[in-house]
Amino acid sequence: MNSDADIVYLDYAATTPVDPRVIDVMTPLFGAGGDFANPSSGHTAGRRAMARVERATGQLAELLGCSESELVWTSGATESDNLAITGAARYRADRGRHLITMPTEHKAVSDVFVRLEKQGFEVSWLYPDAAGLLDPAELEAAIRPDTQLVSIMHVNNETGVIQDIEALGAVCRARDVLFHVDAAQSVGKLPLDLGSMPIDLLSTTAHKIYGPKGIGALYVADRPGCHVEPLIFGGGQQGGRRPGTLAVPLIAGFGAAASVAMAEMQQNREHLQALNDRLWQGIRDLAGVVRNGGADCTFPGILNVSIEDVEGESLLLALEPLCVATGSACNSKSQEPSPVLRALGRSDLLAQSAVRFSFGRPTTREAVDFAVARYREAVARLRSIATGLVA
Amino acid sequence: MSSDPYSAQVRELFSGAEHAGDLEKPAARVQISEQDVRLALAADIDDDIIVGLRFRAWGCPHLIAAAEAFCRAYEGRPVRGLLTFGAAEIMQTLPVPREKLGRILVLEDAVRSLGQSVRVSPDPGKDTD
Repeated sequence: MNSDADIVYLDYAATTPVDPRVIDVMTPLFGAGGDFANPSSGHTAGRRAMARVERATGQLAELLGCSESELVWTSGATESDNLAITGAARYRADRGRHLITMPTEHKAVSDVFVRLEKQGFEVSWLYPDAAGLLDPAELEAAIRPDTQLVSIMHVNNETGVIQDIEALGAVCRARDVLFHVDAAQSVGKLPLDLGSMPIDLLSTTAHKIYGPKGIGALYVADRPGCHVEPLIFGGGQQGGRRPGTLAVPLIAGFGAAASVAMAEMQQNREHLQALNDRLWQGIRDLAGVVRNGGADCTFPGILNVSIEDVEGESLLLALEPLCVATGSACNSKSQEPSPVLRALGRSDLLAQSAVRFSFGRPTTREAVDFAVARYREAVARLRSIATGLVA
Repeated sequence: MSSDPYSAQVRELFSGAEHAGDLEKPAARVQISEQDVRLALAADIDDDIIVGLRFRAWGCPHLIAAAEAFCRAYEGRPVRGLLTFGAAEIMQTLPVPREKLGRILVLEDAVRSLGQSVRVSPDPGKDTD
């Protein structure tokens, strides 16, 4: 049932297990006898390690449709977001200090903009429509002569809403504004061809696509005016954009995960769509249940639902042994309603009841059927406990 | 230090909340609504003894567990005990994290209101002059 003895995991948007094929690639790179050397070293062992890095870089570049020289290895999407936004804003600060993003972004993006606001940058926060989408015309209207950077995520980590990044990027490109995309939830899951898309900076990470935790990448388009100032210094690796000894096993794992994701993308998407449909069909008749994010514009790996008259934290506990999320995992200790769902127009109470189910390659129909039964049972029980108290 | 926000006792009280419900003709009933909490308590009294307690709750697991713990503990006790019910003991015994204190204080308010809404006979051990 896609479970250990005591859990049923439906939180693949938070992280995924490492694919055994990826583990097979990584394992020999740790110990003596493997390609453990520092890839910056000029000796034979170092060159072998560098060959591993180059192979992985090629694998990720193929998945993204970009050239190898446009990729910078980082520790994950959070670092990639920080490097892209802060690095680009600082690089272009002499041209202007106006930036644009949305309140529905992951905190790895929105918190960076909040910090930049404190450092003298001006940020426009654009709100989505009820389906979660940003109208390109609204973005165009918000761009000013001093606007330097727009950051919009591809697939929302809470709702799965897919933004039209081609249309949004085209607006930015026409106005010579850098366009950054947080693609942590979409790389390896939706087709991307950065060579032909109007995207300047793109953040990704391995652990969302059955790769290891601790490794990510930032795409920096090789075009005039697109550059990021480094956030850390010392060593000169990766052209100084992100110095530090390269983590060869993690990078090789990311490369292998990218290759598997590319080969299996279509079949995985069909698998996820079937699971998503099955879960929604199983609960949609419950009174007061609503889907967060338009059904026709969301990534099928995520189904986010709210329900009236049910308190979110109690719902999460009552759902055990299901492993699901109430907000983004990085934010799950917060008692505040999700800003993403508030931006979609949900009331505090409805936002607070939200549950994010997210599916992955190992998820079975039996696991989804278990989730349906558990959700229905938990809602019924909590509503029974609260009878007469909530209008 | 456990990363589980719920103790075994909280989990047992939450999942086995047998006092969630209503009494047919309660001697007293109170209801409190605040932003994160909705709570109702009902009591059956016989000769100044609490013979039945029920609660309704909309709130976090700690609130539901605390309400159930209160009901289990106070059935069979004298009514006057409701007037001195305090959140501190329940916060400590379950335990409930400090950031949830406000919710348990709602329970405290509800319990004391319940006690005040019941006609309480004078404590025979005290001088009532």
